[in-house]
Amino acid sequence: MKLKLFLVLFIAGSVLYGQTRKIEFTQYDMDNGIHVILHKDNSTPIVAITMTFHVGSKNEDPTRTGFAHFFEHLMFEGSKYMARGDYDKLSQNAGGENNASTSFDKTFYYQVLPSNQLELGLWMESERLDHLKIDSIGVETQRKVVKEERSQRYDNQPYGSIFEQTFKRAYKVHPYKWMPIGSAQYIDQATLAEFMAFYKKFYVPQNVTISVAGDIDLAKTKELVAKYFAEIPRGKEDIKKVDVVEPPLGGEVRDVVYDNIQLPLVLEAYRIPAQGTKDYYAIEMLSTLLSKGQSSRLYKEIVDKQQKALFLSSMNYAMEDPGLFVVYGITNMGVTPEDLEAVIETELTKVKDKIIDEQEFQKLRNQIESDFVNSNSTMIGIANSLADYYVYFGDANLINTEIDRYMKVTKEDIRDAAKKYLTPENRVVLYYLPKSAEKK
Amino acid sequence: MKNKVLILLVLFAFVSMNYGQLDRSKIPQAGPAPVINLGNYDSFTLANGLKVFVVENHKLPKVSFNLIVDRTPVNEKDKAGYIDMSGQLLRTGTKTRTKDKIDQEVDFIGASLSTSSTGVFGSSLKKHTNKLLDIMSDVVLNPQFKQEELDKIKKQTLSGLATQKDDPSSIASNVATVLTFGKDHPYGELTTETTVNNISLDDINEYYSTYFKPNISYLAIVGDINKAEAKKLVEKYFGKWKKGEVAKNTFTTPSQPLLAKVAMVDRPASVQSVINITYPIDLKVGTPDVIKSNVMNTILGGGFQSKINNNLREVHGYTYGAGSSIKADEYVGRFFVSTTVRNSVTDSAITEILNEMRKMRTEKITAEELQSTKNYITGGFARSLESPQTIANFAINIERYGLAKDYYKNFLTHLSEVTVDDVQEVAKKYVKPNNAYILVVGNAGEVAKTLTNFTINNKVNYYDIYGNEVDPAAQKLPAGVTVESVLDKYTEAVGGKENLLKINDKTMKLSASVQGMNLTITISQKAPNKLSQNLDAGVFQQKTVFDGEKGKVTAMGQEQEVTGSALEEMKVQAAIHGHLDYAALGVKPELSGMEKINGKDAYKVTLNYPSGSKAIQYYDVESGFLIRSTSTVESPQGTFTQTSDFGDYKEVKGVKFPFKMHQSVGPQDIELKVESIEINTGLQDSFFEVK
Repeated sequence: MKLKLFLVLFIAGSVLYGQTRKIEFTQYDMDNGIHVILHKDNSTPIVAITMTFHVGSKNEDPTRTGFAHFFEHLMFEGSKYMARGDYDKLSQNAGGENNASTSFDKTFYYQVLPSNQLELGLWMESERLDHLKIDSIGVETQRKVVKEERSQRYDNQPYGSIFEQTFKRAYKVHPYKWMPIGSAQYIDQATLAEFMAFYKKFYVPQNVTISVAGDIDLAKTKELVAKYFAEIPRGKEDIKKVDVVEPPLGGEVRDVVYDNIQLPLVLEAYRIPAQGTKDYYAIEMLSTLLSKGQSSRLYKEIVDKQQKALFLSSMNYAMEDPGLFVVYGITNMGVTPEDLEAVIETELTKVKDKIIDEQEFQKLRNQIESDFVNSNSTMIGIANSLADYYVYFGDANLINTEIDRYMKVTKEDIRDAAKKYLTPENRVVLYYLPKSAEKK
Repeated sequence: MKNKVLILLVLFAFVSMNYGQLDRSKIPQAGPAPVINLGNYDSFTLANGLKVFVVENHKLPKVSFNLIVDRTPVNEKDKAGYIDMSGQLLRTGTKTRTKDKIDQEVDFIGASLSTSSTGVFGSSLKKHTNKLLDIMSDVVLNPQFKQEELDKIKKQTLSGLATQKDDPSSIASNVATVLTFGKDHPYGELTTETTVNNISLDDINEYYSTYFKPNISYLAIVGDINKAEAKKLVEKYFGKWKKGEVAKNTFTTPSQPLLAKVAMVDRPASVQSVINITYPIDLKVGTPDVIKSNVMNTILGGGFQSKINNNLREVHGYTYGAGSSIKADEYVGRFFVSTTVRNSVTDSAITEILNEMRKMRTEKITAEELQSTKNYITGGFARSLESPQTIANFAINIERYGLAKDYYKNFLTHLSEVTVDDVQEVAKKYVKPNNAYILVVGNAGEVAKTLTNFTINNKVNYYDIYGNEVDPAAQKLPAGVTVESVLDKYTEAVGGKENLLKINDKTMKLSASVQGMNLTITISQKAPNKLSQNLDAGVFQQKTVFDGEKGKVTAMGQEQEVTGSALEEMKVQAAIHGHLDYAALGVKPELSGMEKINGKDAYKVTLNYPSGSKAIQYYDVESGFLIRSTSTVESPQGTFTQTSDFGDYKEVKGVKFPFKMHQSVGPQDIELKVESIEINTGLQDSFFEVK
């Protein structure tokens, strides 16, 4: 009996998403603590190499915000055997591309190279992990560059500061209250000595996951990884997990920001549980219901039918510690922010009051399935996902199985999550208004 | 002792074996170059002329369909935007499907379907292919454009335009486009509030029925599908699409400016300047210069390692990023540099970019630079092949631009043949620092004065956000100000309506000096609009008389009757109560802006005369006084603008008059001083008689 039941379930499962290609991979820990994940796919002669450091802006000193991101820029400065500027020269000469990013929770570096340059890529990455070299010219130049980056993305950009303004109101104690870009004031104060201390503490083997995906030979790649990374010593300092627990918001936070804009923007941010939790998946489905595709609730009703918004979206800030579910939109001309907020409220109330019907529920599952298939179409995408799943959940195989977690979400779960989290006392509401509307 | 030494030696040998294998200072050498295989594609053509390309790729269980309508560009003129809207409207209804139905059906199968004026893109999991094509072909073959859907899109477009008004990168992109291609070329046309309001449903229907034809279209199918399956599907869903003749449009090709031209768009809130350097080029897709130019541009501003980015970011720390592009095009190509820098280094950044452009022309690159760049482009080519879409794009390009069948197969060979001299040759041909538009969107108050050195004429030209040249002195009007409020304030400032209306006649004596010659002028006026003016320069005298109906000028013994528009204007200028009589005289004043006049904010009032001619008056915002008037003067020497400035207002019998005037006509400047003003002296009508 037991066996039969199992078989039936298995078949049902394979019918649902049997078409999805399984991502095969090998993973292991090196003696010094580096976690390595390898994925082989020989269809195009390229290879993606990534290093994911489990350090982000949430590990920063509140009087040095923006530090992790600033440091990311310095990782391109050079090493004992790579002079300043050589990293990019070597990368270009090898026909590669590279970049990096810093989030609240991690710092991510990658290169994509022709597959015959795998060894060069591993050497370059091991160089900057083993003995990065930064000088004051590099620090001073990047200080300017980072401030321009901040200006370009936040200060000189209409609506550019919406998330910075949201997070600083949504968190009172947790370091999520500042953005990875940090403040210009602290960018100015950071010193070379502080950078080296940060490097020693966080850029160590036990804090990095290396993933390699593409046109590789597994045995040969393992050998090369060992050749360049095995001798790098484990870091001596303890890396403590950030254990700040943000207390409940304790009541609605409502504010107005005046910006160089023409049309008002309305933003509602609700505090939600961390990524990977059961409720998190329900909220992901909820967000799909609200704003994915032109039949989605918010788009159909507010943008298309009532024409109250030029743009309206919802998104989950998926984070290691409890994050935010954000709904935000720009009003159409002649629509007040109060008016837009009211119709958003009506839509959110609907999902809280009424269970969605079978047809709409099936649509959500189909959309999730389609996204899941599409998500693994490039080597760099696969390398990145494998590392993320390992770093955040300790399970790289979630690249194949996370969809099960979505498929377990029921219609009731979606309603219950809406009821539980989309409450006024759990939210920040921001209006962005034109500066001309500000009372002097 | 010996023993010990031996042990030490063994240990040493062991240690050195372990670490000696890795000499970190040695940069690893590349392995044998992998073979870069271009995937194959199949193609076939339907009876209606639709050309279909199929790229098989079974890695993921999905299929995409990209339909491209290959028409020539279209001039939209005063309806700019209707073509884009036609594309958007395609997805909003067919003869049998409402927009709601399309949206539901697409989302239900987790597919994506987007439409534009030149095509439709659809993609879904393989198992939903039939459903997707059912919707997609319905959208292409049987659209039904509805007024309500057009109205929605117009509303969205207008709101979208509003948000762009404060976005420096959108502003730069719009103005740079207009500068580069000109407003008469389809590439340079901008959608504005005005053009959006001119668009009707007829325009949309007309566009669709003219251009959406299978015989000028391509369909690229990529993914988990083979040729036989594809053929069956395409026959079924697109076989009934009817072919038709499509005319080819022609237009004049935009040219580069003869001199570098500095263009400034003022955005006072900016903390950074968006800098664009742009101009049109003649570089056709598929010509031998394209690959050479690609190498040249990659070195100049194409990659992170490029000269422009390295200079501005890594050497000077001016910016987060800077780059250039060179675009080949069937009709007109473009060279373009773009960066964003803090206000204080705007001019320095432009200087550095122009220097890099000049050096690209005058200095040869090194063999190493060339090789490294070739490697980089080769790597990019290989990476692009990861997406099966790339092969489909290659197939379409070969057909669309008439390229050699093996153009992409031979791309890397042609790339490897590019020489250092080739690079300099194309730099000289396409990099034109002296024939460029240098556009800055930023805080003009802080940066404009530093930009004058970038052109020979030392001029900074100002543009509005739509690429129209504007007068930098023009300012925005505060809310609530009307032409009535401006004129009422003037009335109050000079003494009030009651006192003004008490004036029945007025005699004003003025003195002036022109080129060493002393002048006296006597102007007499009587209500409602009689005028007499005597100008005495000793050797030269001129007398003008106007009786309210007809006028005459006498000078050097000759007489001339005043006629036409000059007579019309005289009627107004002679009016003793000036602006209080405008309505009676048929003059329509209109508030047309705000400008700085001699450092003071002033309201600009345009007087529209019954004759159709115009004069402009400027009223001081603070004091309310009239401080300038300008009009156009026709003379045998040509047309001049006459500008009169007024100052030193003093009271005479309860009314304030300007006692100082400064007049300039063409090259001539005259300072006039009022010696006396007499009011109500009882001038007789006979004094103004025209004989």
